[in-house]
Amino acid sequence: MARAVNNRYQPNLINRLLSNKKTRKVIAPIIAATFFLIIWQLLTLSPDANLPSPIKVIQQTWELIINPFFDKGANNKGLFWQIWASLQRVIQGFALAAIVGISVGIIVGTSEFLFDALDPIFQVLRTIPPLAWLPISLAAFQQSNPSAIFVIFITSVWPIIINTIAGVQQIPQDYVNVSKVLQLSRKEYFLEVVFPATVPYIFTGLRIGIGLSWLAIVAAEMLIGGVGIGFFIWDAWNAANVSQIIIALLYVGLVGLMLDKLIAFIATKVVPDEKK
Amino acid sequence: MSNFVEVNQVDKTFDLSGGGSYIALKGIDLNIRRGEFISLIGHSGCGKSTLLNIIAGLDHASEGVVLVDDTPVTKPGPDRMVVFQNYSLLPWLTVRENIAMAVNKVLTGLPKAERNEIIEQHIDIVGLRAAADKKPGQLSGGMKQRVSIARAFAIKPKVLLLDEPFGALDALTRGGLQERLIQICEENQVTAVMVTHDIDEALLLSDRIVMLTNGPSSKIGQILDVDIPRPRKRLEVVEHPSYYSLRSEMIYFLNQQKRVKKLRSQKNTVVARHGLEKVNIQLGFVPLTACAPLAIAKEKGLFAKHGLDEVSLVRESSWRGIVDGISGGYIDAAQMPSGMPAWMTLGGNNDSPLPIVTALTMARNGNAITLKEEFYQQNVRTLDDFHKFIVDTPDKQHNFGMVHPSSMHNLLLRYWLAAGGIDPDKDVHLMTIPPAQMVVDLKAGTIDGYCVGEPWNYRAAKEGKGFTIASDLGIWNGHPGKVLGVREDWAAAYPNTHVALVKALLEACEYCADPQNVDEIRQLLSQREYLGMKAEYITLADPLNDNGVHDPHQEFAHPQFFGQGVNRPSRTEQLWIITQMARWGITPFPRNWVEVLERVCRMGTFSTASRELGIDVDYSRSQIELFDGVKFNTEDPIGYLNSLPIKRSISVAEVILDHAKV
Repeated sequence: MARAVNNRYQPNLINRLLSNKKTRKVIAPIIAATFFLIIWQLLTLSPDANLPSPIKVIQQTWELIINPFFDKGANNKGLFWQIWASLQRVIQGFALAAIVGISVGIIVGTSEFLFDALDPIFQVLRTIPPLAWLPISLAAFQQSNPSAIFVIFITSVWPIIINTIAGVQQIPQDYVNVSKVLQLSRKEYFLEVVFPATVPYIFTGLRIGIGLSWLAIVAAEMLIGGVGIGFFIWDAWNAANVSQIIIALLYVGLVGLMLDKLIAFIATKVVPDEKK
Repeated sequence: MSNFVEVNQVDKTFDLSGGGSYIALKGIDLNIRRGEFISLIGHSGCGKSTLLNIIAGLDHASEGVVLVDDTPVTKPGPDRMVVFQNYSLLPWLTVRENIAMAVNKVLTGLPKAERNEIIEQHIDIVGLRAAADKKPGQLSGGMKQRVSIARAFAIKPKVLLLDEPFGALDALTRGGLQERLIQICEENQVTAVMVTHDIDEALLLSDRIVMLTNGPSSKIGQILDVDIPRPRKRLEVVEHPSYYSLRSEMIYFLNQQKRVKKLRSQKNTVVARHGLEKVNIQLGFVPLTACAPLAIAKEKGLFAKHGLDEVSLVRESSWRGIVDGISGGYIDAAQMPSGMPAWMTLGGNNDSPLPIVTALTMARNGNAITLKEEFYQQNVRTLDDFHKFIVDTPDKQHNFGMVHPSSMHNLLLRYWLAAGGIDPDKDVHLMTIPPAQMVVDLKAGTIDGYCVGEPWNYRAAKEGKGFTIASDLGIWNGHPGKVLGVREDWAAAYPNTHVALVKALLEACEYCADPQNVDEIRQLLSQREYLGMKAEYITLADPLNDNGVHDPHQEFAHPQFFGQGVNRPSRTEQLWIITQMARWGITPFPRNWVEVLERVCRMGTFSTASRELGIDVDYSRSQIELFDGVKFNTEDPIGYLNSLPIKRSISVAEVILDHAKV
């Protein structure tokens, strides 16, 4: 009897880690991932399985994993360079979208007339899938790289515009009254009241926008070709190298997560406490 | 002093989405002097914030104009800085930056160093030095409002506008901030307009309180002058003699507004039944021993017996409530002090004559004059003692309470004082206080004595706070006390109802006069819906059995409800009342006094009611003579007035009465 009680009060290492909130955040996903990998391994044990098992994936792509920085010219580059090329396009397109989206959003948000005039158009345009823009942009730019950047821009600009408008429209009447009583000029009003008051909404838009642009870049690059993680995947598919596709997908996912966290992190630094 | 802020005939109409429009404000006229602190008070939705916004320029008047320092207000500006209820600080700026933003934008003419000095100085004024670099999110509500106040003061506005500045704060924080605000206001001599819900806050801070009526079409209902000297302290203000009367004035106003609102939402239908034109009657009364007939008629089913099966008694705490109820038409009939019908007829209420008639005297006597116990200790026993006492203490102001200018209490108290050589306006100060408030004020020391109906005299004596120096027996035994009053147009529209009402109440009076019923009546009156106090305080002594014992601490009034000549409305008595009111300048003496008496006293209605009940009517007239032995000459009231030594300047005027709508 005494021994049984003793046993119950000596939990093993896993249990101890799981009962602590902080370590559980790390340990639990590892357990889940391991579990998932085991199932995957079991499902692909048979020799005539269509997809490779996880162990096989690692074996076949080991070169790519340990050496992300190789550059053998043309498209034959390490995964880091592939992702970097995609990121550059996203950064350019997204930066453009942020500048245009925030300014348009603030202007449209402060004018009821412009809002009534443009909001229906925004609502139609934002539902167009990213790739549908590609032929138009190719026709307009005649070059693949600007076209890809344009697709990123056009994909991420709508959530930024719409959220900025919402933010401007949500500005408390009090702030408006204060600026009226203090007789702020239009410029002062935009820069010192409207913009800071809208920042939390803008960041919501930016987070949605960056997610969408990362989604769009992979698809766009598959069609455009050249260096970039999208084309890398497409290339692997043509080479029937499923393991490379799988490892590339994993990287795409991790980078997307990092981009999202990055914007969220900037938001915590910029958005005033009261608004969080 | 000239007007600094002028609000001229401002209307505000909002267009409704349904296509109609809502009139929020109607004909607002308000003049504010430089350095004056004004509060706007009223129920939610009365448009007080709208008015503030119009002065601020944040909203525009549909009609009329607002002038600040002789300049019309067209748009918002820093000369009319607003302190908003929810602080309106910019959350991304620190305390200092919030104040700096206003200072830097507004005081552009000053060099930077001077502006910074102003900013720092105002951070100190509101005591936020330690939090100067914090953002609003890190501050409590009270601290945020302090920032907002500092920001407003820092830019030195001509007018400071405060929109429920402390509405969102807890009571403790609010108190501290109010204190801070008066201090800053008094030091800086700012002109301020504040919207508030809080009566005490308004009293503490304001020079004048503007009370708005309920919407739609809100207008200024009343303006109160707050005569409490500055500098004011929160804890000292409540001890000022005016504080509670001002406070009850405001509460009365706000309650009245609530009732009017309720009334507007009710359908006012006339229910005719049993051959009577109207059986649903709102009957007003003020809780006093003299309301016994109404209570008995209701509880004993006498109203129903005479066909009035939907009578509801409306309890008012002051006579003013009765006046407003009758003139506003939401009370059909009421028990009134005997002078009130004539007073209202002669235009005592806001100078607008409203003919009121009486067909029944419900109670006589029942009043007494109480002085505070300290006077008894100083051997004040009689009127002469009191006169001597007043002459000996010329530097002290003696305050007296009475319930209404038109009440017998006022007239008897004045007559009594004047008979003793004391001028009721010059030697002492008379204040209007609701009956139930008298003992409280006596205890608080805001008044030195009062004349009021029972039970409030006996109660003060029982509680050891006062003594009865003169009772009804000693001033005018059998003086009219309470009468039944209705509007003349009401009496014309519902003549049979009027007779039925008089019959029911007359029978109730008879019941009240029976000594066997005394205990039952005392028990009944002690209930919550009537007087709501212990039965032992309620006394009903028979004036005809004067036992000769007159102990000033045992003495109580002797109400008379029924008897020979008791209930008949008397023109002679009404003439005495009109003459006395003219004597004190309350109403002018009507040149057409014969017509006025004819219309106020409804002998016919009383006779009909008595006859139908089988009661003989005594038409004999008797001379009026009070304790001082001066005879009242009914043939020559003006000659009588002229013969009196103590009086105000008397005006004689033709009082033009509208003809009753028949």
